[in-house]
Amino acid sequence: MRAGSSGLGAVVELRLRLALRRLRAPTGTAEGVARVVLFGLAGLLGLLFAGAVAAGSYRAARAGAGLGATVPITAVFFGVWQAWTALALVLAEREALDLRRFLGYPLPPRRVWLFGLGAGLAGDPFALFWLLLLAGAFAGAAAARPGPWLLPLGLDIALFAASTVALVALLQELVARLLRLRWSRELAMLAGVAGWLLFAAGARVPARDLFPLLRTVQWIFLPPALAAAAARSLYTGHALASLPWLAAQAAAAAAVGWVAWRLAWRGARSGEEPGAPRRRAAARRRPSRLPEALGPVFEKELLYLSRHPVPRMALLFLPAIAAVLAWRVIPRFPPEAAPVLRALPLFALSPLSWLMLQDLWVNAFGLDRGGARALLLSPAPPERLLGGKNRALGATATALFLLACAPYLAVGGWPPAWALAGAAALHLALAPVYLGLGNLVSVLNPSPAAFAYGRGRRVSALSALAGMVIFSAGSGLMAAPALLAIRFDSPWILAAGWALLGAAAWLAYRRTLPLAGALLLRRREQLLAAVCGDEA
Amino acid sequence: MLAIETRGLTRLFDGKAAVDGLDLAVPEGAFYGFLGPNGAGKSTTMRMLTGLLAPTAGSARLLGHDLSADGTAVKRLLGTVPDGLNLFERLTGEEQLRIHGQLYGLPRATSARRAEELLAALELGDDAGKLVQDYSHGMKKKLALGCALIHGPRLLFLDEPFEGIDALAVGGIRRLLQDLVSRGEITVFLTSHVLEVVERLATHVGIIQRGRLVRQGTLSEVRASGTLEESFLESLGVERGAPAPLSWMAGGREPG
Repeated sequence: MRAGSSGLGAVVELRLRLALRRLRAPTGTAEGVARVVLFGLAGLLGLLFAGAVAAGSYRAARAGAGLGATVPITAVFFGVWQAWTALALVLAEREALDLRRFLGYPLPPRRVWLFGLGAGLAGDPFALFWLLLLAGAFAGAAAARPGPWLLPLGLDIALFAASTVALVALLQELVARLLRLRWSRELAMLAGVAGWLLFAAGARVPARDLFPLLRTVQWIFLPPALAAAAARSLYTGHALASLPWLAAQAAAAAAVGWVAWRLAWRGARSGEEPGAPRRRAAARRRPSRLPEALGPVFEKELLYLSRHPVPRMALLFLPAIAAVLAWRVIPRFPPEAAPVLRALPLFALSPLSWLMLQDLWVNAFGLDRGGARALLLSPAPPERLLGGKNRALGATATALFLLACAPYLAVGGWPPAWALAGAAALHLALAPVYLGLGNLVSVLNPSPAAFAYGRGRRVSALSALAGMVIFSAGSGLMAAPALLAIRFDSPWILAAGWALLGAAAWLAYRRTLPLAGALLLRRREQLLAAVCGDEA
Repeated sequence: MLAIETRGLTRLFDGKAAVDGLDLAVPEGAFYGFLGPNGAGKSTTMRMLTGLLAPTAGSARLLGHDLSADGTAVKRLLGTVPDGLNLFERLTGEEQLRIHGQLYGLPRATSARRAEELLAALELGDDAGKLVQDYSHGMKKKLALGCALIHGPRLLFLDEPFEGIDALAVGGIRRLLQDLVSRGEITVFLTSHVLEVVERLATHVGIIQRGRLVRQGTLSEVRASGTLEESFLESLGVERGAPAPLSWMAGGREPG
């Protein structure tokens, strides 16, 4: 159909032009470099891990049968599938194509959707990583046993990738629907946490007792189960026996893809925004009761943070991590371990709470959208705007940290005074580092952010990279007192060192806040252009 | 005294002038309609006057204050409804107005009281507890106007305040603005494409084209003996006529 194909060509051209235009934007070069770095890292790490996968696959192909073959095959397919699915559901939304935008055009919608799926795959550095791992599995098998059996093996791996992509698309559609329900995210997270705790409890059961159960439930995860079944036949040299599995996999990929497409198509025509909570008629909210002295920016920001899914999810997730750390990790420390080492899980809770809010401190104005104009039109000094935002995020991180400490202490017992003082000092020391440097990233590279859980909708690639660097640098800086405390076996060095570093960081923050404010004033046009779409 | 006085106000984007040597003179207490075709520089001028854009050259004095030297003091006297609105979509209408007032230095209790009064005056009282994102476009415009008024500004900037809202809402906003201006409490600087509205409301008019002011004066001076629309088209050097027919819509054969 000529009209359809030429129209699809226009969609491809549109996407390419938009990508090129993003590169030509003021921060485009840096953004492009950030993407290249992310792809480079994914490629490099992918090659590194692909080597390990190739070695496992090589040994499996040499062994042919038995545990030596089945364990690596099963581990590769289930491992890749699990990580691919989990990361795609949380992170990879950036390149997703909004089908609703193309509804008005006479284009074949299924092909537009398939193109979106392909573009999403090509624009996702994690996908490159997984594909390299799978290529490693193939290369290892080819090196071990060259022959025609590699053809169905290649097909098996390709079908596995296709069915994983299709299942991820389906899960994304289902998750988008789930997110529209009130408290659904929180309930889903609670269910996940409960499952995780059950898993942790189940780890006490000997592995051989779990095998029958695992064999039964593996079919729920159809892409790796079917791919592993086909691969096991191929590695043992029974190419014919693999054909039914390959056919089942192709059929499953097509069926899952079809359901995902139907859901996407129905969702696009429903007129509702994907992932946005369903609007409630005449929903009323209680007026806030925050003390007036905290200021209007603080109040506004705290209201925003309390309504954002990320802090709410973190409030459920981090205490569960803390409980598991106290329950499963601390008892495994040998009795002769240094007290500082035993306290490390407690100290980790503070950086973790900051890490979970990272996208919010590297893009402080992203959620404001049009409201950013109100802030810059007001007579409030810019450093007060930044300070108010910082205090609100600091309060949220502190609440997160304290709520994580509670189950940790309840399960793991009360730690010595120096550990509690150290944890508090560390938390207070990290705040000015992350917030102060985060202010610079927020002002220099702002981007509009959605009230969503998916990372791609909250922060640009460049800001994400900058956040990673700041987080690593801040954590690295705070590691120095810990190393000294271990070296001299003197736990109080920790609290003193972190208090000292914190005081210096706070001083630097106070001194540089007016400078950050001046920068905000100087960069207001670019910020409004990026966040509110104001033409500059 | 002039509420707005600019001298050679200029803004370049990539070397190209969006506003070019603008000399505005808006008397205090006036309802000033700022007209021009799309892309003439109206919004850029407004963004410069409200401090969102820095001018490339020239100066601006608002209510006697130099905008570049005394920005914070000037901002306290201004209320603005910008193009694209300035609302926090995840606050409720009540929170939006109250926090906005506090940003301009009002005590919380005063701001809350005024917010309540404004919500009633703008007929948004029933929706005060709803998130702004759930408001219709017209309700958002009204709320943005409430934000612009809550701190009692002396100079009000309105960028296309009637765009995309129904006649009922237009009537309400128009009456509110007329009442404020007639009591001499406020100067209004308004951009609009709807010439009938400007003709009905404005006491003074300025017409801008390609960044330059082509006409300015009282409404009667600008429209002379005709209507504002005729005067507007004449100022722009545009003659009204039927556009050229589209070759492929007229039943004829498309060239090539």
